[in-house]
Amino acid sequence: MWSSLVVNGLVMGSILLLFSLGLTLIYGVGRVVNFAHGAFYSASAMAGVWLSQKGMPFWAVLIVAPIGIGLLGVATDWLVLSRIRDRPMVDSMLLTFGMALLITGVLYEFGGRNIQNLAIPVSLQGVTSFGGIRLPDYRIFLSLVAILLTAGLLVYLNKSNWGLRVRAANDEPEMAACLGINRETLMHSVVGVSSALAAVSGVIAAPIFGAFATVGDKILILGFMTVIMGGLGSLRGAIASAYLVGLVLVLGEGYFGGQSALMVLFATVMVMLISFPRGIFGDGRTE
Amino acid sequence: MKATTNINFGKNSTSLKKVVILIVLIVIGALLPSLTKDSPFILVLASHALIAGALALSLDILTGSVGLLTFGHAAWFGYGAYATGLMAKSLSSEMTVVLPLTALTALLLATAIGAILVRQIGKTFAILTLALSQIMFAAVFVFSKVTGGEDGLQGIPMPTLLGFAVKESQSWFWVLYAFLLASLMAALYVRNAPMGKSCLAIRENGERSRFIGIKVWRVKLQTYAVSSALAAVTGGLHALYTGSAAPDMLHWTKSGEILMYAVLGGMGTLTGPVFGGIVFTVAEHYVSSWTDAWQIYFGGLFVIMVIVAPGGLFGAFESIKKRFAGNR
Repeated sequence: MWSSLVVNGLVMGSILLLFSLGLTLIYGVGRVVNFAHGAFYSASAMAGVWLSQKGMPFWAVLIVAPIGIGLLGVATDWLVLSRIRDRPMVDSMLLTFGMALLITGVLYEFGGRNIQNLAIPVSLQGVTSFGGIRLPDYRIFLSLVAILLTAGLLVYLNKSNWGLRVRAANDEPEMAACLGINRETLMHSVVGVSSALAAVSGVIAAPIFGAFATVGDKILILGFMTVIMGGLGSLRGAIASAYLVGLVLVLGEGYFGGQSALMVLFATVMVMLISFPRGIFGDGRTE
Repeated sequence: MKATTNINFGKNSTSLKKVVILIVLIVIGALLPSLTKDSPFILVLASHALIAGALALSLDILTGSVGLLTFGHAAWFGYGAYATGLMAKSLSSEMTVVLPLTALTALLLATAIGAILVRQIGKTFAILTLALSQIMFAAVFVFSKVTGGEDGLQGIPMPTLLGFAVKESQSWFWVLYAFLLASLMAALYVRNAPMGKSCLAIRENGERSRFIGIKVWRVKLQTYAVSSALAAVTGGLHALYTGSAAPDMLHWTKSGEILMYAVLGGMGTLTGPVFGGIVFTVAEHYVSSWTDAWQIYFGGLFVIMVIVAPGGLFGAFESIKKRFAGNR
């Protein structure tokens, strides 16, 4: 019981990892707390179901949906978010909240009131057991994808030209702008990547959590908890706390029942905030 | 928050003008039930609008004055509804007993939780209040034996006010109207008192307020507690009015709706959010009667409002007035 809960907690952590990396990135560069992130998640879960009903294989869905949602993210940044760049941060929260409502409303129109399921591809339907723990292959695959994507993103952030600019804008946005980094285009790309990450987590978690218009709501709350606990804007903090939140959640669910787990998690976050207001590694922002 | 223009509400309107406005408001409120006798539904809608107005006011007391943006105000609305409902069922159905008790417990609880929350600045506060409302939402299901879980709390008895049964929709309208008017007046009074001034100072610049001797943390905590208690009492009235309390009242979309009232009306103006709540509730009723996709319209409206008119309807109205008056 105990060990299988831990393993499932790690799987949950992997989903949260993909989701909250996007939240952290968009916050770090744009100082935007993106309430629409959960709506992007729901949208991609539903898009995934729709695409696979059209006969697209799972791996193709896993590539096509994030590209589509990523482009949608670029478009929203260009059309909507760019209008309020110089406003106080409160406006960005209100704006993305309105966007979340809008997207959820649109999803309702596309059949988002019913819970749909995305079928697991045949090659991943098996169950592997090791050391007495039985774990579906799909969950192993999911965790591997999350870890590889995260590692890839980190390498890219550290090695590429784009990553250098993102890190610069993350640390000192004004200095970065002075050095000739175009914040507008950078922000477009960051929102795109962030939405694509939400989309990957949405599609890959759809076989587990289902696909409907408000599936992203709970993930959004958990993602926020993750980001706060890791420190706002801290990537490594988000990585560590995603697994921490996943473990707390699944262990809490196992021992106290589904809804109590949220309360346990909230208590954990409160205690963490009192002792580490800047997150796990102390490099988050407190503005 | 860009509502600095409306701080001097009391200064340029004489006290006579205020008295006249108040009398007019009281007369309108007293007469409305008799004017709408032939269409009883209007009174029900109006009562719900009044509840929304009071709710928006309670949010504006916090977000508009000290500048702490809360995304979880529904937590206190729902808390009040459940607390009042449970007390009305087990203790007494007298409003003057149940509602003050609700306010008191909300005050204590909000002070305890707020002591941690208000230390956080800006975004963290907003996100944590959102989390808190989700926790309260979860708590309804955890204690479903007491709260009724998914079905909500049913069968809250008909309340009495000072011994008189309140059951006609007219008397309900008057009770709610009096409650809203009293809280609005109290809020406007506090706005011009030293307490309100220090709140505004904190909103504009927390650090400087600390330098001039304002106890920032204490003022924030007091405001949070009072705002939560007002929301809780509003929730209690809603529960007594409808005779039930549902978990929907705690959902985060409800928090967003309350926020929307305040933004539509104009954050920080106190009167603006009240009108925002009333207008929004009435509009929502009519929009949802011809389409069930009201989220698209209001989400879109919200996005446009934040981009185009961050001061809300009131702010937009003011700026148009100024433009026509020529003194830009």
